[in-house]
Parts: sequence; C-alpha cells; structure tokens
Amino acid sequence: MSRQIRALAALHFFDRRRSVLAWGLPLGLMSAFIVAIFPSVEDSISKAVEGYPQGLKEAFGIGQLSNVEQYLQAEMLSLIVPLAMGYLGVRAIASGLTGAAESGRLDVLLSAPVSRRRLVAAGFLATALELAAVLLVTALLTGLGSVLSGAGLDAVAAAEGFASVWPLALLFAGFGAIAAGFSLRTSVVTGSVAGLLVAMYVVDLVGRLDPDLSGLRYVSVFKYYGNAIEDGIDPLAFAGVTVAACLLAVLGAWLFERRDLAG
Amino acid sequence: MASPAIETEALTKRYGRHRGIEEVSFAVQPGEVFGFLGPNGAGKTTTIRTLLDLIHPTSGSARIFGLDSRRESVAIRARLGNLPGDFGFGRETPGRQAVELLARLRGVDGSARAEELARRFRADLDRPLGQLSRGNRQKVGLILATFHRPELLILDEPTSGLDPLMQEEFLDLVAEERDRGCAVFLSSHELDEVQRVCDRVGIVRGGRLIAVERMVDLLGKARRRFAVEVADPAGLERLRSLPGVADLEIAGNRATFGAGGGLDAVVRELAGHHVVDLEATHPSLEEVFLGYYDEGGTA
Repeated sequence: MSRQIRALAALHFFDRRRSVLAWGLPLGLMSAFIVAIFPSVEDSISKAVEGYPQGLKEAFGIGQLSNVEQYLQAEMLSLIVPLAMGYLGVRAIASGLTGAAESGRLDVLLSAPVSRRRLVAAGFLATALELAAVLLVTALLTGLGSVLSGAGLDAVAAAEGFASVWPLALLFAGFGAIAAGFSLRTSVVTGSVAGLLVAMYVVDLVGRLDPDLSGLRYVSVFKYYGNAIEDGIDPLAFAGVTVAACLLAVLGAWLFERRDLAG
Repeated sequence: MASPAIETEALTKRYGRHRGIEEVSFAVQPGEVFGFLGPNGAGKTTTIRTLLDLIHPTSGSARIFGLDSRRESVAIRARLGNLPGDFGFGRETPGRQAVELLARLRGVDGSARAEELARRFRADLDRPLGQLSRGNRQKVGLILATFHRPELLILDEPTSGLDPLMQEEFLDLVAEERDRGCAVFLSSHELDEVQRVCDRVGIVRGGRLIAVERMVDLLGKARRRFAVEVADPAGLERLRSLPGVADLEIAGNRATFGAGGGLDAVVRELAGHHVVDLEATHPSLEEVFLGYYDEGGTA
C-alpha cells in the first residue's frame, strides 16, 4: 500500500475515531441487553412467535426463537444492525470526500501530489476499518452481556453474525463513493444512499412476502446477507458482496476524478 | 530556455449558462511575482482552481512548468504550494498534524522549515485549527503552502484576516521566495497588497483578463486622490490645466484633486507653493479600472 494512501487513511480514521464508540456503544449495549434478557423472556417469546402470521415470520426471518442466537438475529441482526451499519458506511466515506470538500480540506490535500483515486481509495480503506471496529465493539459488548447474564450465546456464531454485516455496510460505502462522483454535498450523498439502503431492504422484504416478486430480491444486497449467526457465513456471498463494494469504489474513484471540485 | 512557470492559452471555463472565465491567456516566468487583480466574482478563484486541476477547463489550455495542467497534474502539484482562498483543514486537526501529513504526502521532511515559519508568523501549530481565529488559521495555511520550498506559489487572497504586522511579514516572505527563483501567482482584490510586491499584474473583470501590465505602468495609469494645503492659495487654479488632473476643488487654502498618469507636472506646480500638508490616497480597484480606461486601455 502506498505511503500516501496510508497517510490519508490514518487522517480519515483519526477524524472519525469517535464514531467507533458513538456507533459501537449503542449498538453493542442494545445487543447486550437483548442477549441478557433472553433467559427471562425465552418462554413467553416462543409462545408469542407461534402466534405470529407465517408471512410476517418469513418476512423478518423469524423462525423458532428457541435459543439466544435466533433471538439476537431476529431483534438485531435482521434489521437494526445492517441498516445502521449501512448508513454508517455511507456517512463515513462521505465525510472523507464531500465532508472534506465542504470544510476546504480537499483543496489543501489536492495541492499535494495526490491523485483523486488515492484519496477515494484511502477513504474507502478507512471506512472498511471503521466498520470493522464498530462491529467488533458491538460484538464484544454483546458477548459481555451474554457472559454477565449467563445467556450462553455461542461466541463463534455471534462473531459470524456480526461479521456478515461488514460487506453489506461496505457496499453502501461503495455507493457513497459513486454518489460523491455526482454531488459534493454530504446531505445529498448520505440522503440518496440511505434511500437506496431502505429501498433495497423493502425490495427484499416484498420479494420474501410475495413469491411472484421473489425475483426482485436479486437486485437487493439483503438477499445475499442471509442469516450467518445460524447458518454460518456464506463465503461466496461474503466475498461477492465485498468485491462488488470494491468495484463500486473503483467506479466512484473514476467519477470523482472526472468531476469538477467547484469552490 | 526554461518553461514559463504558468502559461495559459484561451483558458475558458463555463458552468452551463453561468460565466466562469473566458479566454484567459497569460504567462508567469520563474522568479516573477504576478498579481491577479480583480473584484470579488471576477474569475480569480476559477482561474486558480483550473490551474490546480480542481476544475476542468471547457476549452483552452494551461501549462505549468511546461506540463499539461490536466494530464500531468500530480507531477505539477509536487512542485507548487497553494493557499486556497478559504483555507480550512477540519476543526480538530492541529496545524502541526496538518504539516506532518502534507510532508508525508509530498515525501519531504519540512519540519524545520515549518517551525521556522511558525516562529516568524507567530503561528500556533499545536492548537486545533477550529480553535484558531481566521487570521491564525491563515498563518497555518501559509506555512502549509510554503514549508516545502515550492517552485511556484499560488496564493488566493493570502492576507485576508492577517493583522498589518503579519501582512508585512508575508510580503517580505513573498519577496524572499521570488529572490530564490520561485514564481508567485497572487490573487487579490487589494491593490495596495499587489502593488507592493508584484512585478506584473493581470486585471480580470467579468471573467476576462482585460489587461496585463507591469506594476509601474498600471500605477501610472491609476488616478490617485490628493489633498494639499498651502500657505497661500493664489495660483492653485493652475493645477486644473495640468495633464491628468481632474475634479479639482479648492476651499480656502486646501485643494483636492485626482491625478493620473505621470505626476511630474503636479509636483513641479506644487513646488512653487509653500506646502503645509499633502496627502495622497491609493486608488481603489475601481479607480484603477477607470484610470486604465481613461488612458485608452484595451478591454
């Protein structure tokens, strides 16, 4: 990795160092709470789920809630964590590109012999590290909640569940890089990609609910997200989404290099 | 023969229907301080951003050190320093961290020079930039632009926010950079700043470069305001007939008038009086423009 990319990624990570705790703590505490209360709500939850409509259970991936891993999947990993992390992905990369343009930093950085491609690459790399760090904090706090409550969460399964969020979140960072190729306004970039994130989730949901529309799910990354805490990580899906995220970032860098950075 | 530090040819940038710059052509030689003078919105920053490849020209070309500003932009930026018009680097970053980052990106060790400049400009490199006043942030920006001893300095409104003492220090620094062979492209809307340090000046208005003059020639065309108080007002009316004198008003022992072109005749005339007080006021930018047009400059 080039000296310039390392230096720029370190700067980006320094700027966003608080986000590791600002996002990791609430997600981790919430997950820890979910895990910690499972032993006391286990029976009532199982009975309640039996009464749920079948379509609802399919839509939200709720099968049996007979163990803590299934409960964590249903309460956190099927909706809240992927949506939050996807949004964080675009926020993080936007801060290094459009945020830097808005603060005037981009003009200073691009006074040095740095190509815009490297700037995008560094932002993407720093975002990947930030996402991993937030997921690590979340997973550690969740594990701590399990240990303290005696919920008996399978650590490896939980780690796989949280790890499987990473490529999905990174994909939206890739979309963020593309959006920055069209607009230098952080609000436009985060807003448009957050809209895409929700749209993909809804498309996947509709596809699950209506078999006639199940083909739509192929355009949504949530189809490939799966249920890693129960089924383990699908290496093909994990690698495929990661590669797709990188390709989006490459396309974003290409667009960013060709656009005017108007003052 | 060395390539010009900057050479533009019919450089044009349009933003849809909005004007940017139109067919701007000029050259700046190594060791020359070139002032780029114009009111706000005239196209100064657009020209600079085009030179730096931050925006891409609609047509025309710019070459820096003989290199194409678009295709060879990274190689060009290794040799220049730039102070943007609205310098910013993020609120939490201390100046020293910014210097270290820029040094790493440039592959140089400029820490000693940066410290020297920080002492000279009394810049605080340890406090986060967000905690500094505009003037103190500007000092850090100047250090970032110059610490690596570039061959070309591009400065967009460099003294905005600096106190008069630091403006003097800055002008001294520009002169030193010129003396070591650095070309300086200095954009400003302050004639006073430009006239003190520039060898030549380009005047831009409405996106067009309307004149490139030696500084001394431009000042010769500018109409300055004079207020003179004499012991005996008899004969002051003769000032009215002198070439370049306009708007003469006499009230008691005091006369005010504008004078453009050579001042020799005015000085000779006043030498025949017992002068009690004399004030000369620098012309505003608009007055420079008026003086320029009065002398039949091409637009």
